[in-house]
Formats: sequence, structure tokens, C-alpha cells
Amino acid sequence: MPLIECKDLVVRYGEIEALHGLSIAVEAGEVVTLLGGNGAGKSTTLRSISGLAKPAAGDILFEGQSILGLGPEEIVRRGIAHVPEGRRVFPGLSARENIMLGASNRKGLSKAQIQREADEMFDLFADIRPFADALGWTLSGGQQQMVAVARGLMAQPKLLLLDEPSLGLAPVIVQKVFAIIGQIRERGTTVLLVEQNARMGLSVADRGYVLETGRLVLTGNPAELWANEDIRAAYLGGHSRAKAAAG
Amino acid sequence: MDLVLQLLFTGIGIGSVYALVALGFVLIFRATNVVNFAQGEFSMVAAFLMVIFAVDLGWPYWLSALLSLGGMAVYGVIFNLGVYYPLRHRTYLPVIISTIGASILVTNTMLALYGPQPQVLAPVFETPGFNIGPVYLDSQYLLIIAVTIVLVAFQYWFFEHTLLGKKLQATSQDKEMASLLGIPVAAMIMITFVYSALIGGLAGILVAPILFVSIQMGGTIALKAFAATIIGGFGDVAGAIIGGLALGVIETFGAAYVSVPYKDGFAFLVLVLFLVFRPQGLFGERVAEKA
Repeated sequence: MPLIECKDLVVRYGEIEALHGLSIAVEAGEVVTLLGGNGAGKSTTLRSISGLAKPAAGDILFEGQSILGLGPEEIVRRGIAHVPEGRRVFPGLSARENIMLGASNRKGLSKAQIQREADEMFDLFADIRPFADALGWTLSGGQQQMVAVARGLMAQPKLLLLDEPSLGLAPVIVQKVFAIIGQIRERGTTVLLVEQNARMGLSVADRGYVLETGRLVLTGNPAELWANEDIRAAYLGGHSRAKAAAG
Repeated sequence: MDLVLQLLFTGIGIGSVYALVALGFVLIFRATNVVNFAQGEFSMVAAFLMVIFAVDLGWPYWLSALLSLGGMAVYGVIFNLGVYYPLRHRTYLPVIISTIGASILVTNTMLALYGPQPQVLAPVFETPGFNIGPVYLDSQYLLIIAVTIVLVAFQYWFFEHTLLGKKLQATSQDKEMASLLGIPVAAMIMITFVYSALIGGLAGILVAPILFVSIQMGGTIALKAFAATIIGGFGDVAGAIIGGLALGVIETFGAAYVSVPYKDGFAFLVLVLFLVFRPQGLFGERVAEKA
């Protein structure tokens, strides 16, 4: 039984259909990456799983149980943490407070305990330790991304959804963020990763799905996907023409 | 100089009431992005509850105040469920209209029950006041200032040093993200409404012996508090408190040195001046940085 399974998911935003019957599955312990260009439906898939988007049809099973129609607060309580696109760090709270609030889905924790766990997060994210008391809006993009991922991990999720963690970050920071994803993987947390930077996405993944305008077009392990010439040109950009044209 | 000190004391006293109501404005605005036009009625309803318990029923003052505040907590829950919650996924406009409707409904309910005549509520203390040097300290004003100081200190502690306070802040900054973390957003907004009703109600209970208890008192207080939030910078908590105090002092000095009948006019003169020359208010930059 997969940890998470999306079956024939259809999502509409008004007139526009963002997903036309998408089916994907992630096994426990896997790191799976969703690839594809703008408007492929990658973020919509994550938003459907975390309860932010309401699918018009299809089903989402988490640990074999349907979570379709549940609100985001209930879904994170069941063990799915979503680190959304744009990081969404609370601007008026400090980095430490942001991270502490990540544990809001877990019941019966004392404030001291949460504080201790948040401090432990700074072992994994050593770069942001000096900025623990800085307000969210004063942090750089890379620091915000680390706060956002640390905040997601505080939920102790069974499944971590990461949306575009490399977006807008300098290459050296992107390397750091992906090194952390590697560490998360070693902790045994299942990760569903959305990335436009296919090279980075595949570098940490066990498998990948390639999406195009709301449909699944290809699936396979990183080597298979990387070997496919057409796919590499069209979606796995890196330094290809498609990326250059888009950029 | 003596007169200046005296006016300063009175101004800060009445300004404290504006500050409390302005605080309620700001907290609801930050949590829901909507200005609650029935904010002043929180004070009015609480003052009428005091009249019911302390005057009509003749119960002790402290008991009446506790019951009135309890009533305001319930009122906050009902207000949230009836006025805001059904419209929470709509834009700000239907919610604003809903709060205006609530204001009209509550005002006219009190009019039907008590008629247009103002009611009188006795001050808390038997001793009306005392002199320190040349300044006469009215005991009711002293009480208002003391309660405001305690409340502002409590609120600072609550928002800065408790997890619940941080969750309320997170909710006001990004509701969708808060819900993704498992923060119960609807409950956070409920708490905000209850707290806002409580501090508005407390302001009403405190100011009732100074003003008369009337159906118009809500509107008057709300307009002053609204002006205070503009002066302070809309959405800024410290700005609301300082704006409220400043407004109290300005109108007291204006009444003493310029004209008593135009006392209320000074608040709006200051409001207009701020809107023209410094629309972001005293603490405007901080709000801009956050955006």
C-alpha cells in the first residue's frame, strides 16, 4: 500500500482545469519528484493533497484512507506537512517562533518541549542558527527557505510536501537546501518534491513523474528520465533550450 | 502649568478609553482584514449590561462588572458566528456591511429596551478623587488609566510570550499558512473577537460613569477610536494605544483652550490632518515593511 495515492484527480480553478485525472503514488520512505514546466499542475497536486485545493473528481488516499474533503488543519494532524511555494514564513515572527509553530499539529506538547525541538532544528539548519531571533521578513530567501523546511519538519510528518524549494535562490544556496533534503531522506521521511530545476530534483529522488498541462506524461527513475532525449529537452531543462527560452 | 498637568491627566484618562477600543479595532482588523463598524457597540452593550446588573437589579459593582464581562465574552462569540463567520470566504465588503448592520441592529435593540434617555451609572469608588499638589485626580480616571496599563502589559505578555499569542499573530499574518501548520484558524479568529469584545466592553464599563450610558455612546467612542488607529498607523498595536492617548490629550486641551462645544471636532480635525499629510500614521513605516 502506497503512503499517498492520488487517483484520477481533477482540479478546476473556475473555468480552467488544472489537473485532468492525475494518478500518482508514493511509497513510504521514498523521495519522489514532480517535474514539469509552469502550469503543469505540480503545485496544484500538492495543494490538493494538503487540502488547500478542492478536487472536483478523483480520490486521495493517505495510508489507505481517503483524505479528500478534509481541511488543511486536519490533514497536517494526520501527518502530511506542506512547505508551500514562496516559503510563506510569517514576516512578523522570529525564525525560532516560525519553526516552533510548525509543531501546532501535534497535541499535548509543552512550550518548553517545542522550544527544545526547535533548537535541535538549528543543528540540521546550522546556517540559520545566528538568525534565530531575527524577524521573518528580515531573512534572505535562502534563510526563509530553511526556516520553512525546518517548520515543516517540526510537524514530524510521515509525508513532507516541498514546493519549489530552489525557487529564487542562488546556486550555492540551492546546493545547501538539497543537501538538507538528502538528510531528511536519510531520516526516513517520505518526501514529495516539486521542482522546476529538474537536475536538482532528480539528484535527490528515487523516482520522478513528469507532468504536462495537468497530465502525467512520463514516470521512471532518475536515470531513465535523464536518458530520455525529448524529455530532457522539453522539461528537464537544466541548461537546455526550453529553460533558456523560458528564462 | 497646573492647568496643563490637570488637562494632561484628564486627557490620558479619556485617551485610555479610546486606546482600548482602538486596540479592539486593530486586533480584529489584523485577524480578518476587515474594519469592524460595530466595535463601539461592544462598549455600549457592556455599559447597558452594567446598568441592568448594577442599577436595575442593584447587584454589587464588582459582581455586575464580572457578569457584564462574561456577557461580553458570549456577545463576542455570537458576534463572530453571526456577523463574520458566514462571510469569512467573501471579500471585505460584505463583512463590513454585515458589521454596519450589526451596529444598527444592536443600537436599535437598546433603543427599544431603554428608550432614548441616557442612563446614569455611579462611579466605582465612593471617594470622587483627591489632590496631589495642584492636580486633582479623579478616582474614575485613575481607575481607567490603571486598568489600561494592566491590560496593555497583559496583552504584551500574551502576544509575545505565549504560544497561543504566537498562533494568533501567525493567523493574522497568513491564514492559509497557519492552517497548513494545523493552527485552528476559525478558533483563533473566534478568540480575537471575544478578546476584542472584552476590551471594548471593559472600556465601556469604565467610561460609563463619566459619559452617560446611551445608545449613541458606541458610535462616538468608535469614531474616536477609529481616528486613534489612523493616527497610530492602521493595523499597528502600539500605534493604536499611542494614537488613543494622543487623541484624548488633544481633545482635552482643545476643549480647555479653544472651545468646549467643539471638543469632538478636534478629534476629526486631527483625523483629517493625518489623512491629508501623513496617511500612514505615526507608525506607518513598520506596516509598510511588513507588506
